[in-house]
Amino acid sequence: MRGISRRALLAAGVGGGLVTACGSNTGRGGGSGPALSQWYHQYGEAGTQQAVQRYAAAYRKADVGVQWRPGDYDQQTAAALLTDSGPDVFEGSPTLDQIQGGQVVDLTDLLDGVRDDFNPAVLTPKTYEGKIWGIPQVIDMQLLYYRKSLLADAGVEPPTTLDALIDAAGKLTSGKVKGLFLGNDGGAGVLGGTPLYAAGLRLVTDDGKVGFDDPSAARTLGKLHRLHADRSLLLGAPADWSDPSAFLQGLTAMQWSGLWALPQVQKELGDDFGVLPFPKDGAHGRPSVPVGAYGAAVSARSRHKEAAKAYVKWLWVERTDYQEDFALSYGFHIPARISLAKKATELRSGAAADAVRFTTEYGYAQPLLWTPAGQTAYQDALSRIIKDGASPESELRAVVRKVSAELDRVKKKSS
Amino acid sequence: MRRNRALWFWVFVGPFALGLALFTYVPLLWSVALSFFDAHNTVTPTRFVGLDNYTAMLRDDAFVDSLRTFLVFTAFIVPVTYVFSLSLALMVNRVGRVRAFFRSVFFLPAACSYVVAALVWKMSLFSGVRFGLVNTVLGWFGGDPVAWLSTTEPPWYWLVIVTVRLWLQTGFYMILFLAGLQRIDPALYEAAAVDGARPGWTVLRHITLPQLRATSVAVVLLLVVNAFQAFDEFYNLLSDARGYPPYARPPLVYLYYTALGQGQNLGLGSAGAVILALVVAVVTVGQARWLRLGRTDADG
Amino acid sequence: MDDALVRAGRALRLVLLIALALLFLIPFYLLVRNGLSSEQDITSPEWTFVPGELRWGNVRELFDDPSVPFARSLLNSALIAVATTLGTLLLASLAGYGLARIPYRHANKVFYGILGTLLVPAAVTFVPSFVLVSSLGWISTLRGLIVPTLFSAFACFVFRQYFLGFPRELEDAAQVDGLGYWRTYWLVVVPNARPVFAAVGTIVFLGAWNSFLWPLVIGQDQSAWTVQVALSSFTTSQVIRLHELFVAAAVSILPLLLVFLCFQRWIVAGVERSGID
Repeated sequence: MRGISRRALLAAGVGGGLVTACGSNTGRGGGSGPALSQWYHQYGEAGTQQAVQRYAAAYRKADVGVQWRPGDYDQQTAAALLTDSGPDVFEGSPTLDQIQGGQVVDLTDLLDGVRDDFNPAVLTPKTYEGKIWGIPQVIDMQLLYYRKSLLADAGVEPPTTLDALIDAAGKLTSGKVKGLFLGNDGGAGVLGGTPLYAAGLRLVTDDGKVGFDDPSAARTLGKLHRLHADRSLLLGAPADWSDPSAFLQGLTAMQWSGLWALPQVQKELGDDFGVLPFPKDGAHGRPSVPVGAYGAAVSARSRHKEAAKAYVKWLWVERTDYQEDFALSYGFHIPARISLAKKATELRSGAAADAVRFTTEYGYAQPLLWTPAGQTAYQDALSRIIKDGASPESELRAVVRKVSAELDRVKKKSS
Repeated sequence: MRRNRALWFWVFVGPFALGLALFTYVPLLWSVALSFFDAHNTVTPTRFVGLDNYTAMLRDDAFVDSLRTFLVFTAFIVPVTYVFSLSLALMVNRVGRVRAFFRSVFFLPAACSYVVAALVWKMSLFSGVRFGLVNTVLGWFGGDPVAWLSTTEPPWYWLVIVTVRLWLQTGFYMILFLAGLQRIDPALYEAAAVDGARPGWTVLRHITLPQLRATSVAVVLLLVVNAFQAFDEFYNLLSDARGYPPYARPPLVYLYYTALGQGQNLGLGSAGAVILALVVAVVTVGQARWLRLGRTDADG
Repeated sequence: MDDALVRAGRALRLVLLIALALLFLIPFYLLVRNGLSSEQDITSPEWTFVPGELRWGNVRELFDDPSVPFARSLLNSALIAVATTLGTLLLASLAGYGLARIPYRHANKVFYGILGTLLVPAAVTFVPSFVLVSSLGWISTLRGLIVPTLFSAFACFVFRQYFLGFPRELEDAAQVDGLGYWRTYWLVVVPNARPVFAAVGTIVFLGAWNSFLWPLVIGQDQSAWTVQVALSSFTTSQVIRLHELFVAAAVSILPLLLVFLCFQRWIVAGVERSGID
C-alpha cells in the first residue's frame, strides 16, 4: 500500500510527447524550485489539458504539477481549501466567503502597472475592498445560436425582443425539432440573472441591495413559462447546453450556449448559423449576455505562497503568448487582456466579432455579492416559474427575502 | 479469568472499534460540534451561535420539502421493492432447471454502480430526445418524445428514479427471499395439501409469508436504511453543472449543496445532517420495535 | 382440469419470467450497443438494434485517450477493491466473533455503538472525515482511499449474527483441546465459515469497486483515480462523446460481472447459511 506520490502525477496516461519533451520523467515542470500544485477544472475542448501542462513545464523557478479535475469542480476546490493538501494555485471564482474567510491570497500587487489592461467586466468580480483575489484567465461568454435556414423556412426573423423569441421558438417547433434549447433543466440554471438584466434590472445594486425587487422582474420571468407551456423547449438532450451537440444534431433550431462552442459550430454548419444576445424585454430593457472568468487564485494554506504568486504572475500576467494560446487555440474565449483581445484576428470577423461586440455592449458579470445561497434560492424559484408555472410574484418575494438576508450577512462580515 | 476474557474481547473487537471510533465517531462528533457554530468555509469555527443553525434549517422551506420528498420516496420504494423482489423469488423458486439462469439475470444488475446505471438511464433508456429507447418505442406507436427527467407535470422523473433503484436492488433482495424460501420445511406444504388448502394465495398467506417473517424483517430494515441513504442515483440523474432542480431533491442532496458545494456553510449543513440523522433514527428504531426486531435477533 | 390449470399457470409464469429477464437485460444491451457504435449511429433518429458496423476500435480509442488514464484507473480500482475486501473481512470477522462469542460485561454496549453508526448518513460526516484524512496526509494515496473505508459496521453485524448461529460444539471441542480464543478462531471457526466470508466479501468488493464520492474527493491526482472517477470525467466535460462514455462504462463493469458470475454460487450459499437475514 505504497502511497502514490504527487511526483508520480501524470506519469500515467498523459500522451508521451509533451511530457517527455521537457526532459522530466515525472511529467512535472523542468523547474527545480519548490513543488507547486495547480488545479484546473476539466475543459471539454481537446488539447487544453496538454496546453496547460506545456505552460507549467516551461516554468523554471518552481516544479509545477497540473491537476485536471473532473466532476463538481467548485465543490472540490471548496473542500480542498479547508486542508493543507489542497492546491497551491487554482482556477476559481473565488467566492466572497472564501475571500472573507481568508482562504485565498491577496494578489493586488501582481497587477501593478497592467491593471488597466484587464477587462473591468471580469476584474471587478475578483475585486473586494479594493484588493484583487484572482487574476482573470479568459473571458467566457454565452449567447444564442440560431440556424439561419430553419428560421428562413419558418419565416421567422432573428428575434430582438423576448416576446419575439418566444413566438419564434413556438413557430420553429415541429414534431422532431424543438424551437429552443436552454439546457435540460429548462433554462433555470444557465439563464440565471440574464433575463433580469434584459429587463433593465440587475442581481445586486452597486450599494449592495437586491437589484430585482421590482414588478418588471416578475413580468419578464413569468413570460419564460410560456416557452415551456408551448412545448417549444428542448428538454432531456444527452448533452447539456454547454455542448453544441443538440444544435448540431438538428434537435433544436436555436440553442443558448457558450462562445467556446463557436469553432465547432462553424466547422459543422459553415454559414448556416448566426448569434444573438438574450433579447431585451420591456421599455427599459436592453439585450444582455453573461460574461465570466475563472481567476487564477492562490490558496492561503499553500506552503509556498510567494512561489505560487510568482508563478501566477509569470503565467497570467507576463506570458501573454500563453494567454493568447489558451484563449484562442482550444475553443473560443475572449482574452481577459484588452490588448490581446484587440490583437486577436480570429475575433475580428463573422460570428466571433458579433460575440465580442455583445460582450462589450451588453455583457454583465455576476457580482461578487451574489452568493451561492442566494443563487440557489433564485434558481429554485426560476425553475418553478418556468416549469411549474408558479406565480412569479410570490416566488420572487421569497427570493428577495432570502437574498437580502444573505447580503446582510456578508456585509456584517466585511471589516 | 474474567479479566482474561475482557482482554481477548478487545483483541478481537479492539482494532475494529478503534478504526470505527477514529473514522466514524470523531467526524460524527465534529459534525455535531460544527452545527452549533457559524462555520462558513471552515472546520475550526470560532463563533458560537447556539441553536441558530437548527432554527434556520427547520424554517428553510427547501429543507423541509426535501424531508417530505424522502419520506414519500421511502414510503413508496420500500413496499414496491419488497413486493417485486418477493414475487420474483416466488416465481424463480418454482421454475425448476432454469432457476439458476433466472437467478443470475435478476441478480446481475447488483454488480453495476449507480454511476453506470444512471448513465444508461439518463443518456440512453430515458433520454428525453427522439433517439432514447423509450421514446423510440413511443414513436412506433405515434407518440411524441417525452423529456422524462425534466417534466414536472406529470412528474415523470420519479419513473426514472424508481426504475433505476428497482433494477439495481431487486436482485439482491430476491436472493435473500430465495434463501428464506429454501429454509421452509416442505412438510409444512405437504400438511397444508393434506388439509385441502389449494396452492396459491391461501398457502402463501398462511404458510409462506409467516415462515418468511425473519427474512421480511431484515429486508424491510435494509430497504429503509438504504432509502434514507439515497444520494447517488439522484445526484447522477438530475444534477448538472449549474446545480440541482428544486424537485426530487432528497435531504442528502440538499445538504451536499449547502455544506459541501460552493455554499460551504458547514454549520448549517451539519445542523441539517443532525436533524436528518435523528429522523432516520426515530423511524428505524420505531420500525424495529414495531416489527419486533428483538425477537429475530434472539432467534439468530 | 386441475392439471391443465396448473400447466397453464406454469407456462404463464415462465413467459412472465422471460419477459422480465429481457427487461432486466436491456440496460446491458444498451451499454454494448452504444459502446460499439459510432457517434452518428447513437444519435441517429432511425433506431437500429445492431449498429451498422461494430466498432471495436472504440475500446482502443478509450485506452489511448491521453486525457483519461483509463488503464491506470482500472488498476487502482482493482487494488483498492481487493485490499478493502481483505481488510474488511479480517477486521469485521474478528470483531463479529468477539461480539458473538467472548462474554464481556460491556459487549452489548459496544455492539449497539457499532450498529448505531449504520443509521448515520455518510454525508453527515463527510467533511470532517475529509479534513481528518487530509490532516493525516493521506490525500491522493491508496492509504487514504482504503483505510477509512475498512470499518464496515454492516459487515461486522453480519458476522456477529452468523457466529451467533454457529454450532457451539465445534468450538467447545477446540476449547477442551486447550485452544484459546485466538487459535480456535483461526483453526476451527474460519475454515467452517467460508460461505459467509464469500458473501460478505463479494458485497464489500462490489461496494468498493462502485463507490464514487469518496474516491472523487480523496483521489485528487489523476494517478489515484478510480474507474468510477474516470467514468464520471466523461460525463462532466463540456463536450460529451457518447460512444466513449458507453464503452468506458461497459469496460468498467466487465471485471465485476466476471467476479459476480464466478462467485454467485458462493454468495447465494453464504446468504442462505449466514445471518444476513
